[in-house]
Parts: sequence; structure tokens; C-alpha cells
Amino acid sequence: MVVDPPRGLYVVLDGMGGANAGDIASQTARDAIRDFVAKRRLTMEPKALLEAAIQYGSAAVWNAAQQARERHGMGTTVVACLVVDAKRALIAHVGDSRAYLLRHGRLQSLTRDHTIVEELIDRGILAPEEADRHPYKNVLSRNLGAKPETRVDMFDLELRPGDRLLLCSDGLYGYASTEAMQYLLGSGDPPETVARDLIDLALRGGGGDNISTIVIEAPQPAPSSTQVVRTTGATAWWQRRARFLQVAKDRGITKNPICRGLPPEEALDLVAASLCQAIFHDLEKSTGVNVWTFAQNVAGGWFERGGEWSAVRGLMDILAMSSRTVVEEIRVADAQLGFLLDVAVSRALVVAELALGGLLAERLRQVDGDLIQLHTAMQETIEASQAELSDSGFIEQATIPFMRPDRPVTSPGVSVELVGAIEKTLTIARARTSPRAELVKQILTSLETIATDASPNFASAVLAARELYGHRTTDDTSIMPLFDALDAARIITASSVHQTSVPDALRAKVLRAISSAHQRLVSAVTGLVLEAVAPYSDRLKEAQQRTSDLRDKVARAERKRAELERKFATTIDQSQPWDKRGVTEW
Amino acid sequence: MSDVDLVEAIKVLRDEVLDTVEHGDRDPPGAEVFEALLNALTIGGESVPGLDLALHDSVTRRLAWGDSEEAVLSDAEMVFDRLMIAVERALRDPADRMVVIEAATQVAVTVARVVSLAAVGRAARDRAARLREELAQRQLKEVLEKQRASIVRLERDTR
Repeated sequence: MVVDPPRGLYVVLDGMGGANAGDIASQTARDAIRDFVAKRRLTMEPKALLEAAIQYGSAAVWNAAQQARERHGMGTTVVACLVVDAKRALIAHVGDSRAYLLRHGRLQSLTRDHTIVEELIDRGILAPEEADRHPYKNVLSRNLGAKPETRVDMFDLELRPGDRLLLCSDGLYGYASTEAMQYLLGSGDPPETVARDLIDLALRGGGGDNISTIVIEAPQPAPSSTQVVRTTGATAWWQRRARFLQVAKDRGITKNPICRGLPPEEALDLVAASLCQAIFHDLEKSTGVNVWTFAQNVAGGWFERGGEWSAVRGLMDILAMSSRTVVEEIRVADAQLGFLLDVAVSRALVVAELALGGLLAERLRQVDGDLIQLHTAMQETIEASQAELSDSGFIEQATIPFMRPDRPVTSPGVSVELVGAIEKTLTIARARTSPRAELVKQILTSLETIATDASPNFASAVLAARELYGHRTTDDTSIMPLFDALDAARIITASSVHQTSVPDALRAKVLRAISSAHQRLVSAVTGLVLEAVAPYSDRLKEAQQRTSDLRDKVARAERKRAELERKFATTIDQSQPWDKRGVTEW
Repeated sequence: MSDVDLVEAIKVLRDEVLDTVEHGDRDPPGAEVFEALLNALTIGGESVPGLDLALHDSVTRRLAWGDSEEAVLSDAEMVFDRLMIAVERALRDPADRMVVIEAATQVAVTVARVVSLAAVGRAARDRAARLREELAQRQLKEVLEKQRASIVRLERDTR
């Protein structure tokens, strides 16, 4: 046998002749074929190479037979396979050694034995059914060594992934059924194991010691980068999850405002571990849905609680940097895998950024809508005010006056000096605020905006109030924390004013500006509460109206029923007994 | 200026802040806010015990008399604005002005809180009342169905 995977050469030979001549023939042919191919594999065209190698082997056997009398007549069968590339193989054979192909689980013979009986059948002299009983059924019509040259049957074979080729001598197929061979070849075991099992099968079937088998598996196409990421990449990522969490922790993820208030381990588990898991599942399935959902949940929940964008940005930056650190470590161990993971993880993070972008766009749309609404309301109010002033001088009060952004407010004006002092005061106030009091900090920022706003209207207060109010349910537990925070901000700013190093007169002006801003903000927030509860009254009125309509309908139906009963009573024959007066139910 | 003197000084501003010339001296709009301010100035400190309760009583009274929450809040805002102007003019010492401003801000926040609570409470009552209405509607619909069935039967029997 020749098994030479680097050159793609596989050969099975089965020698014939007494006094070990068969062995000498097969060994001679084997060496000749192997050496011929080894020397010319890169220089000759594959088909010509294989045929020439077999002819060379045949000549070598013939020459060897001529050198000793006892070797006269020796020869060998051959079946050879030259794998050209992943998609092509060449099969050549002489004699009754066979090549089989297993494709899609079915075994088929690729060769026809070169026996006298087969030749007779081919020529139409013998019927196929008579072949088994023919006395020359095992006599070969061709072999290597009978003559210096021999006729070689050759053909091309297109290989497909998963194909298995079997080269064997008659010692195998003569003692093993085709079904059993098919079963073993299709078992999925490695080719070497299958070859061993086939020999065992033939031995159990009564075969001798002349059993040669080679099982060749068609080369699998190189896995795509997607497959590598799905399998090896995902596994490598998951194996380093502890490292990812550690890096995220070292980079301070537990100190991010989104994680504040949670025990560090729980914060790590909720945020970093969730993203790590989401990336793993997305790598496995080549999707981005898990990372998208993660980003939506984390950022969406945070925004709903009135959280700032900067916290989300900081969190995602930490997670992205931690991911890159882990990927870099994988790259050091395996450059190609690291490269593919870098691309895949970056893509996952881009998906997360897209999700955040979507949320931000939603927020911007809301703000944009509010601004348009405010602008429209302002224009309408200005026009109405001008019209009314020109008519009678009467100004109608708005339903919820605090929500009118154009409502003029009393403002003593803000100088550059005052603005500087306000900013200084609120900086002190922020520094004195507990790090966890995010809402109070947000209020302080809003107060700074409103207090330094030179425009003599209510717009900045309304915008700030909407930002603070966010999405809240209309109940005590949802509304009161906001007022508690407003009160806390009042106390902090009042004490911070006294710590600001400015002249007393300016300090009083700062306090007035901030207090006025505070008052406007509180009014606007209360206006939002009133706006939120307004529909409840309307809905109650609608429900009361519906009830009233139903009562009217019932009253009308009752009148009609009473009238029909009266009419029915007059039709009853009072002289009849009760059970004869009718079947009407009362 | 002592606390007592400061309270007296602010009392003098009552007519100006509440615009009694326009609204009359008896219960002008925002009177309860001004009273709460005086109370806060009298007691002092960061939080005034009873301020919440006192304002809750007076605001509830106004709401019971038919004033809207918006009107109560609007009056409080008006009092705050006028007080700022009046204090700026009447009190020369910045420290005195700051005391009054702090108290006025506290009262403003408290009024807003009380009004919000009242509004949220009203919303809860409205919600409950709507549920009752819907329950009544369901019962009325059942009665109506029965009446219609009776009417159909009676019409058939009297034919």
C-alpha cells in the first residue's frame, strides 16, 4: 500500500505468484509507483503522471520477474488514487482491486474488475447471471507485470465535501457485504478507524491475510470566518468572561451612575455579565439581536428614570474597552482568531451603539416635538395677545398658566457678574450634593440654566421641568420624590449661597435669582402634574355621561315594557284558570 | 434686623403684595401664602413644622370653595413675584432680604407640593369614581338586556 497524503497518492496492490513472488511483485510495483510520483509530482500533469507511474510499476515488476526463474509470471493488481485538489481526484486501476465511493451515505463501486469473465460479459459472450458459475471467474485479464506495458483504466472524479473513497483488494469485498462496508464507511469515525474496522469485518467473514484497505476522506473546505467565529471565537470569548468582568470592574463600571446603589457584584452581574453573555450568543448565531436588546434595556430603563446620557456613554465606553482588552489577549494567543473576533465583537458593539442611537433619536424627536409645540403656542399667544390688546386690552387666562412658555416672568436681569456668581454657587451646591442624588444634581443644573437665562419668559423652566418630570405615573409614590428632591435642592442652594465668597449685595441677588428660578421650576413641574391629571376628570365625565345615557335607555325600555304588560293583561281571559291563561313568563 | 422686626416689616408689605386695593382686604388671592410666609419667618429654620399642614388646610379650603388648583398655584406665584420686588425695595440689608427670600422659596415649594398632592388625590378619586361608573354601566347593560328580552316576549305574546 502507499499512503502519501502530502502528494495525495494512495495505492492498494495485491500481488500474485508462488514462493512469495506475489509479495515481491506488489512491493516492487509499490516502490516504483511511489518513487515515480515523488519525483515528478510537481512537474507532470496529474493524469499523465498517474498513468505513467503505473506503467513504470508494471515495467519494474516485469523486469524483476525476468531476473529469477521462480518469479516468472508474478504480477500484481493495483488501484490508485491521486487527489489533485479538494475537488478533484484521479482513479486508476488494473486487475480486481476496487475503488468505492461513499457519497450521501450510499456506497457505489467506481471500478470494474479486469477478469476474463468480465471481458466475456462486455463482449456479449457471457450472460451476467452466468458469471458466478464460470470456472474462470477469478482469473484476471490484466495485471501489472504480465507484460512490460499494460492497459490502465483511468477516470476523473469530482470530489464533494464529505465524500469517502475506499481502495481495497479482493480480500475485503470478497468477505464483507456491501451493506456492511457502507455502514462502516458512513459511521463518521475517522478514516483510519474505518479502515481497521473493515479489515476486522473481512476477517470475521473468513478473509485471509491479504486484506488491504485505504479510506480517503475528501478534504473539507476551509471553514469560513463566520464559522470560525461561531464556534472557536464564541468559545474563546466565553472562556474569558471572568477576565472581561475583571477588566470592567477595574475600569470602574461599578462606579458608573447606572450601577450606583447596587452592590458591586450585582452591578457586574447585571451589566457587564449581561453584555458578555449577549455578545457570546450573538457570536454563536452571527446576529446582533442580543446586544441590541441589552443596549435597549440598559439605556431605555435609565432614560425612563430621567438618567443622563453621559452615564450611558461612560458605561458603554467601559464595556467597549473591556471587550477590546479581552480580544487583544485572544489575539496574542491566536492572531487569526483574534482578528476575526475583533471584527465580530466590534460589529456587536456597533449594533449596541445603533440601539443607543435609536433611543437618542427618539428623545430628540420628543424634544423637537416639545419645542415645536412651545414655539407654536408662543406664536399663537403673541398673535392672540396682540389682537386682544388692540381690541379691548383684556388678556384671557390660560387653563394651566404655568405651562405657557411665553408667559412673561419678573426678572431683574442678569449681568455677567451675577451669572458668574450663580455658577459659582451652584458649583458649590453640586459639590455638596450626595453622589447618589442624581435627581438633585439634575435640578441644580436646571436651576443654573433658568437662573442665567436672560429671556423674560417661562420657556427654559418648562423645558427643564419636562426633562425632570420624564415619564411618571400620577400617584404619590412617583410624584413626591420629585418634590422631595426640589426641596433638597432648595436647602442646598440656600446654604451654598452663604458659602460663596462674593459681596453681600451680590449674594442677595444670587439668592433671589436662584430662588426665582426655583419657584418657576416648581410651578412648571406642578403644571405638568396638573396636566397629567387633567384627563382623569375628562374620562370621569365621559363615563358619567355614558352612565346617564344608559339610565335613560333603561327608563325608556322600562316604560315600554310596562306598556306592553298593560296591553297583555287586557288580552287575558280572566274566566280561565291560571294554567290555561298562557305561557308568558312574568 | 431681629426676627420680630423682620416679620413686622413684612406685614407692612401685605397690602402691596396681595394687592388689596384691587381685591379687597378680606381674603385676597394668595392670602394663605402670605400667612404661611409670616409663619415661616416667625419660626425660622430649614424646615418649618406645621407649614405643610397649615398650607394643606388653607389650600383644601380654597379647592372646596371651587377654586382650581391652577388658580391656587397662580396666586402663589403672583405673591412670590410681588414679594421679591417689594423686598428688594423695602429691605436695605441684604441679609434681611435673603432671610425673606429663603422663606418665600420654601413656601413656594410647599404650596406646589400641596397642590400636586391635591391634584394627584383628585385623580385617584376620579379613577375610583370612573371604576364605579363602569360597574354601574355593566349592571345597567344587564338590566337593559333583560328588559329587551321581556319586551320581545311580550310583543310576541300580545300579537
